[in-house]
Amino acid sequence: MKFAPTELTEPERALQAEVREFLAAELPPGSYPRALGMGAGNDPEFSKKLAARGWVGMALPKEYGGHDRTAVDRFIVVEELLSHGAPIGYHWVADRQTGSIINRFGTEEQRERFLPPICRGELGFSIGMSEPDSGSDLASVSTRATRTDGGWLLNGTKVWTSGAHENDWFVVLCRTAPLEDGHKHQGLSQLLVDLTSPGLEINGIPFLDGSPGFNEVVMSDVFVPDELVLGELGMGWAQNTSELAYERGGPDRWLSTFGIVEEFLRLSEGTPLGDRAAEMLGWATSRWWALRNLSLSVARLIDEGQAPSVESSLVKEMGTRFEQDVLQKVIELVDLEPSPESASLFERLVAAAVQTGPSFTIRGGTIEILRSVASKGLGRG
Amino acid sequence: MAETTATTDDSVDQLLIDSAEQMFGQTCTFDAVQAAEDEGWAPEIWQAVAEAGFAWIGVPVDAGGSGGTLIDACEVLRIAGSRAAPIPLAETGILGGWLLASAGLELPGGAVTIVPGVSGDTLQAAGGDNGSVSLSGRAQRVPWARQAERIAALVTVDGEPTVVSVPVGSVRVEPATNVAGEPRDTVTFDGVVAGTDEAGAASPDVSAESFRLRGALSRAMLMAGAMEAMSALTVTYTAEREQFGRPIARFQAVQQHLVWGAQDAVLTKMAAAVAAREANRDFAGARFEIAAAKTVADESASTATRWAHQAHGAMGMTQEYALHHLSRRLWAWRHEYSTPGEWPAVVGREAESAGADGLYPLIAS
Repeated sequence: MKFAPTELTEPERALQAEVREFLAAELPPGSYPRALGMGAGNDPEFSKKLAARGWVGMALPKEYGGHDRTAVDRFIVVEELLSHGAPIGYHWVADRQTGSIINRFGTEEQRERFLPPICRGELGFSIGMSEPDSGSDLASVSTRATRTDGGWLLNGTKVWTSGAHENDWFVVLCRTAPLEDGHKHQGLSQLLVDLTSPGLEINGIPFLDGSPGFNEVVMSDVFVPDELVLGELGMGWAQNTSELAYERGGPDRWLSTFGIVEEFLRLSEGTPLGDRAAEMLGWATSRWWALRNLSLSVARLIDEGQAPSVESSLVKEMGTRFEQDVLQKVIELVDLEPSPESASLFERLVAAAVQTGPSFTIRGGTIEILRSVASKGLGRG
Repeated sequence: MAETTATTDDSVDQLLIDSAEQMFGQTCTFDAVQAAEDEGWAPEIWQAVAEAGFAWIGVPVDAGGSGGTLIDACEVLRIAGSRAAPIPLAETGILGGWLLASAGLELPGGAVTIVPGVSGDTLQAAGGDNGSVSLSGRAQRVPWARQAERIAALVTVDGEPTVVSVPVGSVRVEPATNVAGEPRDTVTFDGVVAGTDEAGAASPDVSAESFRLRGALSRAMLMAGAMEAMSALTVTYTAEREQFGRPIARFQAVQQHLVWGAQDAVLTKMAAAVAAREANRDFAGARFEIAAAKTVADESASTATRWAHQAHGAMGMTQEYALHHLSRRLWAWRHEYSTPGEWPAVVGREAESAGADGLYPLIAS
């Protein structure tokens, strides 16, 4: 394991202070629909404001509108946003992964076309990986693109596509060559697809808590021009694996239920906590502190040019289970029948976490898949 | 050879770590650690450690120590923990050595132990002539009292924190052990007098609280090492052990144990290392980090031992295999310098003081 303790440098602390100041002014407690970490709502205006501060697409190159900042700088901004439950939904996926893979694998034309609006917070992306019959076994996707004049005709169905109804584009993992026995990782490509394309239909699927935003996307002969094949034709599997790596190990994997504990503490202000409550708070705070140090060290490793895939899988597997444990400890402590309609933000967050919590250990790679990735890495020493 | 210059630098001395790895690796063989089950310690390992000066790292050179930072001392403890070294290393160095140095008392050439202070202890101190201190009562769970040369204790004399140091020959020692077979003896002081040169006022940074924090930090480091070694042992074992025609590490159910055990180890190691870094800079300011690290270490020890044992099956249930050297120590150390809920409550009260808006800044401090 390459985890090593690290801490913020002076300029990094200055950035942290700047972000805190911005959020205190922009989102004072009670003034916005506080969300559970990355399950936040879309607010394109907020995304643009963040972008204006240079906090969207931070790690992308300046020549495409980015800021050439480090993974640690992005970590600092993101942990503050998530711990505030800020409405980051609109730019979230583009900032975390799509911008990075377009920069890494895309053509010069694609970089020039997509990265500047991503960095301005004006282009929202969704993820087009899962299908009704392909979840963890992504190489089995059956969405296929067939050759046509000047491009491809895309047919198939993607599901659990968060934000597709509000975002602008999504990256579709699909088969561009027939499946050959024993070579399921070949013949896959990633296509950049406009969510307003003719032939593309978005059907909402209510999430467990009744919220919209989870979607089915049905594509019937959707035309995708050649210039929107992301990176290299047939290299979709490798690119997709690399994209998934951006989804792992960051603060979004251990802060989902932070707001619950923060609001619990806010409600208790003025009355001393009982011993059990103090111990629960101390347990959660200790683990957040330790997990954050691990997660920060992953960001530092990335900046050092390392590929900490085992480390980030370990953090994500542990962090997402912890998010659920926090909820469990809180409901064991507080006399509460959580109600989604409650006037109390604390209660509403608990109700939302009860209903959406199971997704923490599923989204972006189930913990079972992560264990498989991590344990193979442990075996290599 | 392990002498380093005193410094407040918080970089890790890699040369020191390499030589500690080498020395503990060479001396703490399975047979040596297993042989210590009978007597509770390994004199030949102690001899090697003492000769190399490892036991006195973190204790200033002018006080008779080896010098070096608290980080250096903690890293050596982590390595000792990973080898299940059956010797009073923390007691002689960052606990006992620290106490003696703080009061300007002489460091003996042999092992030092300390009175950790547990419920039911009745040790009392009374001031006598010329700064001497008379000690009476009973102290329990005193590590390696049987083998140590002197016993140090932090007592209160006329309301003042005072360090005393008496030879083991002057007290009555009843052998007792922890679940790892390490000596945790009961010591009775029958009006033992610590003479003028055996008692002294503790320096202002020494208090019952700072002593307990140091004890907790020492255990977090030992536990980090033990969990790291236990994880590595489990990964190796499950890759070699075949059942149903393939290594058991290929089974998803076993992979879960490997991953959870590795997480417990890396989380504890990170927590302990950050706590040591902060304690080295400003011990009084590191209360949160040490309390959080011991909270993490205690919980992780309980789960990590479950996963490691489950992955080892019956193989791990005998004294013929190395797992028990680590797992039994973890079961013991999670209780040392830690009563149920003690450290979570310390962290929780700090979080309560920070308040809702200060909670994340505390976590990300």
